[in-house]
Amino acid sequence: MSSMLKVENLESGYGAMQVLWKPSLEVKKGSITSLLGPNGVGKSTFLLTVLGSVEPWAGKIFYEDKEITNLPTHKKVDLGIALVPEGKHLFDGMNVHENLIMGAYRKEAIKYIDDSLELVYSLFPILKERDRQGAGTLSGGQQQMLTIARALMTKPNLIMLDEPSQGLAPILVGEVFETIQKLQAEVGLTILLVEQNAEASLNAASYVYIMHEGQIKAEGTADKIRGSSDIREAYLGI
Amino acid sequence: MKKTLPKYYPLIPVFAAYLIMFLIGFFVPGMWQMVALLAFYCALGQSWNIFMGMTGYVDFGYVTFIALGTYGMSLGITYCSQYEWLGIGIIVIGFILAMFLASLSALLEAFIALRLRGAYFAIACIGINEGLRYFIEGAKIWGGSEGLIYFGALVQALGRDTVNQLTSFWADFSVFIIAALAAFLNMHYMRSKIGYALTAVREDEDAAKVMGINANKYKTIAFLTSGWLGAGVGAMAWGLKLGYVYPGDVFVIHYTVECIVVVLLGGAGTLLGPVVGGLIYGLSKYWLAVIMPGFQLLIFAPIIIIIIVAAPEGVVGLLKRRLKGTRLEMFIE
Repeated sequence: MSSMLKVENLESGYGAMQVLWKPSLEVKKGSITSLLGPNGVGKSTFLLTVLGSVEPWAGKIFYEDKEITNLPTHKKVDLGIALVPEGKHLFDGMNVHENLIMGAYRKEAIKYIDDSLELVYSLFPILKERDRQGAGTLSGGQQQMLTIARALMTKPNLIMLDEPSQGLAPILVGEVFETIQKLQAEVGLTILLVEQNAEASLNAASYVYIMHEGQIKAEGTADKIRGSSDIREAYLGI
Repeated sequence: MKKTLPKYYPLIPVFAAYLIMFLIGFFVPGMWQMVALLAFYCALGQSWNIFMGMTGYVDFGYVTFIALGTYGMSLGITYCSQYEWLGIGIIVIGFILAMFLASLSALLEAFIALRLRGAYFAIACIGINEGLRYFIEGAKIWGGSEGLIYFGALVQALGRDTVNQLTSFWADFSVFIIAALAAFLNMHYMRSKIGYALTAVREDEDAAKVMGINANKYKTIAFLTSGWLGAGVGAMAWGLKLGYVYPGDVFVIHYTVECIVVVLLGGAGTLLGPVVGGLIYGLSKYWLAVIMPGFQLLIFAPIIIIIIVAAPEGVVGLLKRRLKGTRLEMFIE
């Protein structure tokens, strides 16, 4: 399989504080790759740096073998990279339908808007039922669905999810992970999944990276990580 | 995004209000000065609201644009009035200079201040305004703190009759034009891609960026537009009408505060709001100054507080809620 996203020795941070200390990572086309690690190790910063919201200090980012390290965020989105941000950044003043339409903002996405709407409504039937309801009045799980759906509206090839299971009831966590697997198997998307929930991620992902203190401390297939009690005890606590 | 026909109906009440104001001022003797003052407040509110209403950013340094517009007009008249063959062209040159100075400062401010959010943005804008004022005074450019007085030069270049007409009618009339233009541009932006982008930015800037919206570009467009219109008002209502400019008179935060009051009274982010706010503010200020000279601010402050508490969305916001579901709804924005 060829590579969809390749990150080499990425460094970045906020002000004088360096957060990422040269992690490298590769996401194969059509795969679910997971980046695991506890709170505050730089996982979200990693995604924001890949997308350009946080400026990279050093290192290289390749998307489909083209270097995109210093492109501005909106150009990266134009190439087909979508981020589902942590903590449900919805447009609260708009209804579900309007949030989805906003997702299809880029030129390439507007052309496919009807197909995209049909796709997300079939993936998340509850959103169709509530399409005129204010986004701020949805339940936590529905808001998470809407955030993912809105990212799908940008017609991405690569979708990066930042802790989609955060703050959800266990039964909803299962639902979200099922959806993610559907996106890969049925829609054909490549997925980079950032999570704290090690158990569920190991089940969903084919390849796993473990991040600690801004560095990649371990990597391997999901089975290998699950099989290594050292890694599990040292970094995942399971 | 499906293409919907641009609906410009909400412009109708706005334009109607401006037309009625103009007609009253033109045909009722003695009313022109008051109507001109009202148009001034409406135009400033409308121009300021383009940026604030669509982005949610509060530009406390807005008076910078008005001041630079005034200076643009002053410089044009001061330095070009010696060339007789230019004739009325010196006003055009002044206006172009006003636009140029406004663009320059808008782009500079956008580069520095638009990276900041909330209170930091507001403070940075005030800083730039004060910095410019003291720079002009300290570096003694453009006449320094003594300002520029060019009314005589204007009379010499164009003749007393023309100048009288310009200052007593055309300067005020162009403020009406700018106010109407501001309303049109505001509506046009709201109905186009820029409007969608900026609504998303206002709701959640980080999410908007993730959608692929170039937030900085659209914020700069709105900022630049707002700045041009403000500079236009400054060039005409102050630069051309008064015939002099002092830095201490024009770089005054007080005028920004007036813009904010006008917009909040009428309804922030609405199209009709600045007109309603401008009328309420202008009329009460005028009357209070007549019946109780010197006490107008003392009385006006509590009135503003009461209105803000009773109707936080402004008068038009209240009206919009009342008219929801009726046929009049499409005319109010």
